[in-house]
Amino acid sequence: MKTKLFQYILVFTALGLFINPNCFAQKSVLKNYRVRFDLSTTKQADNSRLLEASFIAANKKDRKDRVPVYDADINFYNVTTDEDFLIGTAKTDKDGTAKFTVPADYKYVTDDEGYINLKAEFEGSQDLKSNEDEIAVKDIFLELNLEEIDSVKTVILNAFSLDSLQTKIPIDETEMVFSVGGMISKMPIKQEYVSDGTFEFEFPENISGDINGNVDVYVSILDNDEYGNVIQKKSINWGINKNITKETNQLWSEVAPLWMYIVLSILLIGVWANYGYTIKNLFSIKKEGKELEKNK
Amino acid sequence: MDLVKRKKELVREFSPMLEKSTKTSKIWMVFLIAIILVGIVAFIIQFVKGHIVTGMRDNVVWGIYIINFIFFVCLSYSGAFISGILHFFKTPWKNSVSRIVEVITVLSLIVGPIFILLCIGRLDRLYFLFIYPRIQSPITWDIIAIMTDLIGCFIYLYLTFIPDFAILRDNSEGKPKWRQKIYKWLAINYHDTETQREKLHKITRTMSAMVIALAIIAYSVLAWIFSLTVQPGWNSSIFAPYFIIAGLYSGVSVIIIAMYLIRKFYHLDHYIRKVHFIGAGVILLVISLLYGYFTFSEYFSRWFSHKDADMKLLDTLFNKYFWEFIFANYIGILVPIVILFFKKFRTIKSITFAAAVAILGLYMNRYLIVVPTLETPYLPIQDTRPEYLHYTATWIEWALSFAGIAAFILFFILIMRLVPIIPMSGIIDHEREEKKKKPRII
Repeated sequence: MKTKLFQYILVFTALGLFINPNCFAQKSVLKNYRVRFDLSTTKQADNSRLLEASFIAANKKDRKDRVPVYDADINFYNVTTDEDFLIGTAKTDKDGTAKFTVPADYKYVTDDEGYINLKAEFEGSQDLKSNEDEIAVKDIFLELNLEEIDSVKTVILNAFSLDSLQTKIPIDETEMVFSVGGMISKMPIKQEYVSDGTFEFEFPENISGDINGNVDVYVSILDNDEYGNVIQKKSINWGINKNITKETNQLWSEVAPLWMYIVLSILLIGVWANYGYTIKNLFSIKKEGKELEKNK
Repeated sequence: MDLVKRKKELVREFSPMLEKSTKTSKIWMVFLIAIILVGIVAFIIQFVKGHIVTGMRDNVVWGIYIINFIFFVCLSYSGAFISGILHFFKTPWKNSVSRIVEVITVLSLIVGPIFILLCIGRLDRLYFLFIYPRIQSPITWDIIAIMTDLIGCFIYLYLTFIPDFAILRDNSEGKPKWRQKIYKWLAINYHDTETQREKLHKITRTMSAMVIALAIIAYSVLAWIFSLTVQPGWNSSIFAPYFIIAGLYSGVSVIIIAMYLIRKFYHLDHYIRKVHFIGAGVILLVISLLYGYFTFSEYFSRWFSHKDADMKLLDTLFNKYFWEFIFANYIGILVPIVILFFKKFRTIKSITFAAAVAILGLYMNRYLIVVPTLETPYLPIQDTRPEYLHYTATWIEWALSFAGIAAFILFFILIMRLVPIIPMSGIIDHEREEKKKKPRII
């Protein structure tokens, strides 16, 4: 009996070793994740500014395991030395991103160096701690002009910022990407460091436009430490495919393609002519046999 | 050689096959008729209640009817192909198998298209196909191909029967009047004169070439019904030659089984000999290697390209239809290859067994071409009822399928009661040829 009891204890102990002690608490699952809260800004073509806060829980061990935080209230502020001005509030979507567009005419308060200080803040909930992220960007203006100079399609860019007296200060040594709009993504046509605030180049001749030949030309600054993301866009009728010939699938049309009628007719005439020839010969065999029977 | 005497001898030899009914054959016929009757009942139920009595639904719109259709039509095309080859190249052992092949060709071409009619939900609108045909549709091509092929095969079969009808007409003293009349009418005054024989040989030879070409075209058109769609598993450029090889695989297998059964039940050991089985077995070996190669190429390219839809299909094949896939594409190909490859395994029984495995494997392969593809469409199936997600054939479909097979066998037996399964004219022609050759040797 003692032996049996000993065996039972041994079996249960062994089984117990296989039981995962972490299978109860959700908290312990949360422990494995590091919450990432990032703010970014993009100055858009209409001079409005998009504020984006990304709120994602990333697994510490598995880089691919990223869980977006959904439906969290994010407040966006214009930060000054005295006070934080609330710009607006947005909820995170299923990708964990809260987006808020600040109108072009919004008057930001800048610091002494001319930087706009922006902040995104999550106040915290029962399960998640509060989080915030700040960035500072300078306001920048991109003037994109598309002109034909001596019949040469030319892209001209003027990039500047404004000081407190509204004087234009040219941008120096900043990487710009010129691209044209496509169905799925933008196609880069030029990448250049702009100095003295101006740059111009010849627009390529082989760019396709839409059905009317219109093409969207973009200039963008991406992930710049000083300006963040800036995009400017202009449309022009410089695309080459103005006359698109629409090809219809002939198999779905009312009438089949001509070659199909010809091939089918040749095949059928060939086969049926042979049947006719065979039947004619059968009649001739029958006739001969009949005459033979008569003669007998 | 006294031709008249020899013809009489042959008629005497084959007469028991045409006239006497054994108890076993009577039981068989009753059994086959009973299966056909059950099939007729099933058809009436389907006609009255509609396709709801079958396993076919909105997504899986094709089931075992279309598989039977492909199977029988492929059988017919392969029969036409093989028969054409036998006649065109004057193959030495054609006398033993040519009529079996020809009868299989015509019967399967009659039975096969019935199954496609069963697939049609609104049979009352069938005539629309003829009133509003779309030349650009593979379905229209298939209808034209099948009808042209059916008529061609009928003419061809009739041509090969004429000399035998004439022999039977000339030696039908004491036979029932109706039989004499039928033979007289079908023999079209053929008296085996030099000119008649020459004419008949000429048109038979032309028709044999024609049926080979027709079989290839019709086969391809049948494959295009599938491959010209963009469905995963069907949209393949090798489908037409793959169907031709698969059809020949089933055709040769059915011929071997028919040879075995006819040899056994009609005691024709003298005419259908082991050498014929070995010949057919070697042909089956070559075709099975080709068929295996095509099957591998088909699935390998799908697996390697890794397209989403193809991967889903392969996933279905390797999970839900795992054993069916193994049977169709491993056992159904490798077992016949192993049996037929080694000389010592090539006995009449083992060759017939290999043929039976090949047929079952091929039928399963057809099932795996049709059903899993329809079960894994590009857009997810909306209706979650099991019968909408997965296809299972109902008793109605099985009853009609077996009725088709029973009708095929019954008609085969009935044709064998009309003309001998070994062409007497072929034997006489062979003996005539042999006689011509002898003086040359001397």
